[in-house]
Amino acid sequence: MPRNPEEIVTEGIIEFGTGRESLVQLLTKVNEELSWIPTIAIEAIAKATRISVAEVYSVVSFYSFFSIEPRGRNIVRLCSTISCAMTGQGEILEALMNEFGIELFETTDDGRLTIETTSCIGLCDQAPAMLVNGEPHVKLTPEKACDIVRGLE
Amino acid sequence: MEKKVLLAEDQPEFGAGFELALTMTPADVVYMVRDSGIKGRGGAGFPTGIKWNLAGAASSDVKYVVCNADEGEPGTFKDRILLEKYSERLIEGMAIGGYAIGSSHGIIYLRAEYPYLIPAIEEARKNMIGKGLLGKNIRGKGFDFDVEIRTGSGAYICGEETALIESLEGKSGFPRNKPPFPVNSGYLNKPTIVNNVETFCAVPHIILGGPEWYADLGIGECSGTKLFSISGDVEKPGVYELPLGAPLKDLLELAGAKDIQAVQVGGASGRTIPAADTYRSLSFGDLPPGGSVIVFDSTVNMLEVLENFMEFFVHESCGQCVPCREGTLHLRNAVEDLIAGDICNKESLNDYFKLAEVMRITSKCGLGQTAVNCFVDIINNFVDFTDERISGECCCERGDQ
Ligand SMILES: Cc1cc2nc3c(=O)[nH]c(=O)nc-3n(C[C@H](O)[C@H](O)[C@H](O)COP(=O)(O)O)c2cc1C
Ligand code: SF4
Ligand code: FES
Repeated sequence: MPRNPEEIVTEGIIEFGTGRESLVQLLTKVNEELSWIPTIAIEAIAKATRISVAEVYSVVSFYSFFSIEPRGRNIVRLCSTISCAMTGQGEILEALMNEFGIELFETTDDGRLTIETTSCIGLCDQAPAMLVNGEPHVKLTPEKACDIVRGLE
Repeated sequence: MEKKVLLAEDQPEFGAGFELALTMTPADVVYMVRDSGIKGRGGAGFPTGIKWNLAGAASSDVKYVVCNADEGEPGTFKDRILLEKYSERLIEGMAIGGYAIGSSHGIIYLRAEYPYLIPAIEEARKNMIGKGLLGKNIRGKGFDFDVEIRTGSGAYICGEETALIESLEGKSGFPRNKPPFPVNSGYLNKPTIVNNVETFCAVPHIILGGPEWYADLGIGECSGTKLFSISGDVEKPGVYELPLGAPLKDLLELAGAKDIQAVQVGGASGRTIPAADTYRSLSFGDLPPGGSVIVFDSTVNMLEVLENFMEFFVHESCGQCVPCREGTLHLRNAVEDLIAGDICNKESLNDYFKLAEVMRITSKCGLGQTAVNCFVDIINNFVDFTDERISGECCCERGDQ
């Protein structure tokens, strides 16, 4: 069971404080643990940091790793920038979407998986590459990528 | 020819440069960095010694040393290698920076795409503490210094130093107006130096080897060595260390580039040149030596490359200013029209070239100012308007204009 978002925020406040500069850190903590940032977390953070809910939302929407939509326990971020695009990123994305029955930026019904694309992740020497829950996977083929994702919890 | 200093197998012990710096006055450390002629390794090429001198002269009890580890330029991965293997050197360089400008607080701003590098950085910090080179009253000199790691959250623009500072302050990464410059008013409005990972890693070598030795490593006017990340159509992609000012063709040879249609130097925001121009030098006066080199062979459709880059800029523009927010969209659309055959001759692109010029002049930060480079270079040098793919089945013949 995922933890209560407010509990995560309370823990984050002990770690990072309630100063303005703690905002992105608090959001990151919630986003990493739950894969997304629910409204109750946003409200709790806004209250603790004395920043308006609207302002917290605007910061959330600025950063592409944050989401206010529920996402899967596992997030696949496939690089779509040039070195990966030239080495077959398109076919890998196709294969993943077919295999797991979802479109880009969608989540499987069982809440297991979300597939996203992202700008260059600095692994161009081993393209095509992706991050799965932050871990790098390189020199992908459609089969290899599907195998990795199939093996997730 | 490779010239390894930062990546040398055999190199001075981590911490040795900082130990030596602690025996000098902070001002002398700044002068040494200045005299080495080193320019920032993050792309913009501002002289590091001048930056440190300004921050050192700013009066404030609290100052910050910030390492820019946001490495987001497409094709760049040299800082990843440094963080993996040389985080201790980086922290040492930051400590020297802190000593030089009078700051006890170091912050490493690490991109969210590199979370797997955090253990290596934490380990390096522990080693430095173990050696007594981080913490309070270091070596009894009355100087305190420590570093913390903060992470980004997936925004290329946060590599721009003032956007990075905004992000550290918990805000959206909108670049600030300059002046004031960070050296006077940076993180939490305190004097702050922001430097690239590679810049900090070079500083201990400068202290140990001396400014003349360092300057002589470069070719001609250039000072020091530089790391280059090379990828694309080459046999041996990776990171290579060359004297700054070396010709691009040396790097291409090392990496095994055989069939060259185009080379993009400096990432999406850099320049795209044909094979015939690879004699040119990687230096601040010529091809942007930011670190990324991507090779495209003769099978690549450069219009598709351009579309990929324009898509990147549309996505990564922070949207704060109109020329960049709207301009990147229009240029992207023009490229899509070219691919679809809805634009089939260069004259139809005149307005887009004018728009590119407006973006270059009026955009607020480097993103909008340089997003136009690939558009101008690729259209001018790599799009053949007599090619079937562009002129065939075109709008004029279809009669919809
Ligand atoms: C859009 C944009 C992105 C940038 N990204 C980075 C980056 O990822 N890493 C970096 O060190 N500098 C980046 N810079 C340059 C920084 O603004 C700044 O010049 C640099 O961190 C200063 O350090 P240096 O003098 O050691 O190079 C970027 C600049 C712009 C305009
Ligand atoms: S040029 Fe682009 S990225 Fe820079 S401030 Fe303007 S909109 Fe933002
Ligand atoms: S282009 Fe995909 S990792 Fe850089």
